[in-house]
Parts: sequence; C-alpha cells; structure tokens
Amino acid sequence: MTAVARVFDDFARARRPLRSLGASGQLGYGIPTPAFEAGLARAPDMIGVDMGSIDIGPAYLGGGQMAPTRVGAKRDLRKVLRAARRLDVPLIVGSAGSAGARPHLDQTLDIIREIAREDGLSFRMAVVAADVPRAIKQAIAAARVRPMDTMPALTDQDVDAASHIVGQLGLEAFRRALEADVDVVVLGRACDTGIFASMPDMLGFPAGISMHMAKIVECASLCCVPGGRDTILGVLDDDGFELESMAPNRAATPSSVAAHSLYEQADPYEIREPGGRADLRDVTYRALDARRTRVEGATFEPAERPTLKLEGAQMIGHRALLLAGAADPRFIARHGEIFAQVTRVVHDLVCEDTPEDYRLSFRLFGVDGVRAWNEPPAHLPREGFVMGECIAPTPARAEEVVRTAKQYLLHHGYEGRLATAGNLAFPFTPPEVTIGEAYRFNVFHLMEVDDMAQMFPVEVENL
Amino acid sequence: MRLDSIAKVIRSKNAGPCLLTLDLMLPDEASFAYVAERAGALRRQVARRYGRSENEVAVLPFKPALAVKITLPRDVVSGDVGDRDVYGAQQHAPLLEIEL
Repeated sequence: MTAVARVFDDFARARRPLRSLGASGQLGYGIPTPAFEAGLARAPDMIGVDMGSIDIGPAYLGGGQMAPTRVGAKRDLRKVLRAARRLDVPLIVGSAGSAGARPHLDQTLDIIREIAREDGLSFRMAVVAADVPRAIKQAIAAARVRPMDTMPALTDQDVDAASHIVGQLGLEAFRRALEADVDVVVLGRACDTGIFASMPDMLGFPAGISMHMAKIVECASLCCVPGGRDTILGVLDDDGFELESMAPNRAATPSSVAAHSLYEQADPYEIREPGGRADLRDVTYRALDARRTRVEGATFEPAERPTLKLEGAQMIGHRALLLAGAADPRFIARHGEIFAQVTRVVHDLVCEDTPEDYRLSFRLFGVDGVRAWNEPPAHLPREGFVMGECIAPTPARAEEVVRTAKQYLLHHGYEGRLATAGNLAFPFTPPEVTIGEAYRFNVFHLMEVDDMAQMFPVEVENL
Repeated sequence: MRLDSIAKVIRSKNAGPCLLTLDLMLPDEASFAYVAERAGALRRQVARRYGRSENEVAVLPFKPALAVKITLPRDVVSGDVGDRDVYGAQQHAPLLEIEL
C-alpha cells in the first residue's frame, strides 16, 4: 500500500484531525535537524516542502537554474525523503528547483533518483510539469489572457521571446498527483497552498480553513516570534487549525500568526488560487498556550472560471560589471554628471563602427545605489561604491564596454578635480566581471484554462 | 509623530514582480488607531515620497495584526533593466521619516 493510500485508509476507518508537517519554506538552504526530528516524533500524516518563489527574480526561471546549490538541494531533499519513507507518509514537493520549469523539475527529479539509488529507497512518485504549451497564443487570440498588476498585454512576440513559461499549478494538480496512488508528489511551479491544502481537500476538510492553514504552514516557522525556518506542525480539523513550531524557542502567537497574512501579499484578507479564493475577513486567532495558536473562520469562494497565473522570462543579453570604490568628495558630489560624461565617451569609442547595441549604467552606492531617490541626500558619504553595469548582446561586447568604461571613468577629468592620478579604488584587479545571461520577466499574466488535466498531465514513476 | 518612532516593524517586500508592499506594525491598539485614522494623510505622503499618484497607492489597515499595509507599483518590474532591489526588501526607507 502506498503512503497516500495508507492515510486515506486510516481516515476511512475513523475521521480525525490531519497533521501536516511544514518542513521548509525554501528547500535547499538547510532544514534545522532538531525541529525537523521533533516534528517527525509527532506522527505527521504528511510532509510538505516548497522549493520556489517568483521573488528571486527572472534569472532562475529564464536560465533554467536552481537558486540554491545542487549540494544544498540534495542534502535537504535527502532529509525529507528519508523521513517520509521512514514514517511511510506522503512527501509533497512544490515548485521544484526554485522556478519550476522543466529544467528545474528535471534537476530536482535527477537528485531524487540519485538519492533513491544511493540510499536504497523505493517508492512511487507522481510528477506534474508546469510548463505552459505555446498554445497560449490561441488563448491570447481568444482574449483569454489578461495582465497582472502593471504588466502590459501579452503578445505572441512575448511568448516566442520567453525562454520558459510556467503556470502556477493549483490544488487540483496536486490532487490529481495524489490520486495516482503514490508516496511522493513533485510538481513544477505551483501555488504554495496546494502543497498543504490538497490532502485536506481530498479528505473533505473545509476549503477555506485548509487553504489558510496551507498558506501559513508552507513558510515553516515564519509565522512565529521569532520567525524562522524551523519545521512547523499544523493540525487541521473541521472547524479550524492549530499551529505549533517544532523549535521550542519559537512561539506561534495570535498576533504573529495574523501578521503572517501580510507577508509578501498585497491583500492580507485573501488568498488566491486558480480554483478560487479564501476570504480571511472573519478569521479569529486564539492562543491555546504560550506557543500554540488556534485559527478559525476562513471561508472559500470558488472561481467562476479556473485561471492560471503565468510566469515567463526572456533573455535580454549578457551582463558585465565594473566594481570599484571612491573616496574623493568632489567625485562623489559630481558623480551624476561624471557618469553621464563617461557614458558618452565610451559610446564614441565603442560605437565607431557598430551601433549602440548595449546598455551601460552606473550607480554610486552610498548615494543612489538602492533607490532612485526623489531628492538628494542631506549629507554625502565619505566613501561610495561604484558599480558599472553593461547588458550587451554577447559576453565579449559587454566586457569590451565595461573595460573601456573602467579606463575612462578612472581617468575622467571632471570639473574641479584635484586627484589627477585616478578616480577609482579597485579592491582587486581585474575589477571587471562578466556574470552571465541577463533576463527580465516578460510574462506575468492570468490565463483562463478549461482543462488543466489535459494541459498538465500526471506522470508516474516507480523508483 | 514620525513613523519610525511609533511602529515596531517597518518593512518592504515585493508582492509579485510588479508591486511593492510596505508593512507598518504597531505595538498597541492606540498607536494602530492613530495611524489607521490618518490613512488618508499617510497615503498622500507615501505617494509624494515614492513619486506616485495617490490613486496608485493603497493603504489598508489590518486590525488582526495591528498593522497597516501599503501597496504601490514598483518603479521597475523586479529584476528588469534598471532595477535596484530585486526583492524590494530595502524600499521602506522613505517611510521611516514620514510625520503623521
């Protein structure tokens, strides 16, 4: 009998609260062992981990790379996989490999197969890829795609330009994977709530409460004071759920749990999924003791039509940087005009027989590195960090532009200059680095989908 | 009163790649009420300091956490050319000095 079948068999005999273990909200960056082991000792019905987010920027999605190292991802996957097999409970992994496109999913599956081989584990695994077929052009033509937030309307050119486009799989995709009667579920890009709301959904727990619990538990102990990455236990019944961090120094209090609804969300009163939204307006938070909180009251409204949130990234060139420091008050005061002048000088030198096919920019950290401030600072800093950045069609072109910029910024004769031997302090040489491909999000849209199961089929593998 | 003298948390982060969301968490009901009652003034000041029009700035009091959430568009989509803060985690600084 598989781990999923075992849980359902058990619930068929006697209905009881469901115990979910949120092992990690960012798999690959370490799962503290003491809290994880404490969680395993509490006889959880499932273990869930989220690997991904869109917050890490477009480079991982576009470039097909995981955000953590393979070593880190393997260490953490080994920990949760061994634990799930030891307890014979389902392991559910969402947003495989950070960005959840095919290359990320494949890297994750490759690691899982390697662990199974090395550790002699055998299990049945369901996999759902989140890559959206290029057929979305038909949806664009049928006006079934609309932009999220401030994005422009999606075009066929955007679709062609994107190196990967994924859809955030919802609860129903997790559910189909679980229904394949397996031990382990791995999804490409997915809503983090699906990891922990899909088993409750199949067991008939109320959708609003389940989704609310899922949204909290997927971040491990982030909802606690102090917040952290330690494993959390969520115990769900038909009226609400109880949260307890598996690290004794972390407390889930009514205010810390409520505050978690704010985190990285535009609206703290709702959680959106492809299949509908949880409404948190009537939620209550009650302390059970100093470290545990009970939450009740979320309701669920099904969507009229299922929508899929699309994410895509396109390559925009290759990036090279100049890294240097400055300590001259005249240079720091005039950095804006100096950067503009040097940008022109560089242009005249590197575009004599080629068009301006690159973008060169400079920032002075200490003054305007972190924000494009509306007003100048009250005091200029004693030192500043100069970062030059070039994005060009080839690594060689980006390097050419940045190396030229370094030379002319170093020796630029600006008005009022006293330090005529050089404007920059290089902490090391070469001070120029090429850092690889540059990407931008060019897809962040909602698409109406009639048949998710057809678009995102379940693949089953026996290991 | 300056926000950094009354709030116990002032933070910023992306809410998706296009939006920036700022959380002000207050230490007690009185200070929460003080800020929530001045949501209109807060919205005006945020719009000015972040170079946005008022209708692009949403201010939402969230009583369960004694918090006020402010959401506005990012200047540049996260990670796009010219972005300076991919996660948006250091965009709270202009809030600190707001007087309410």
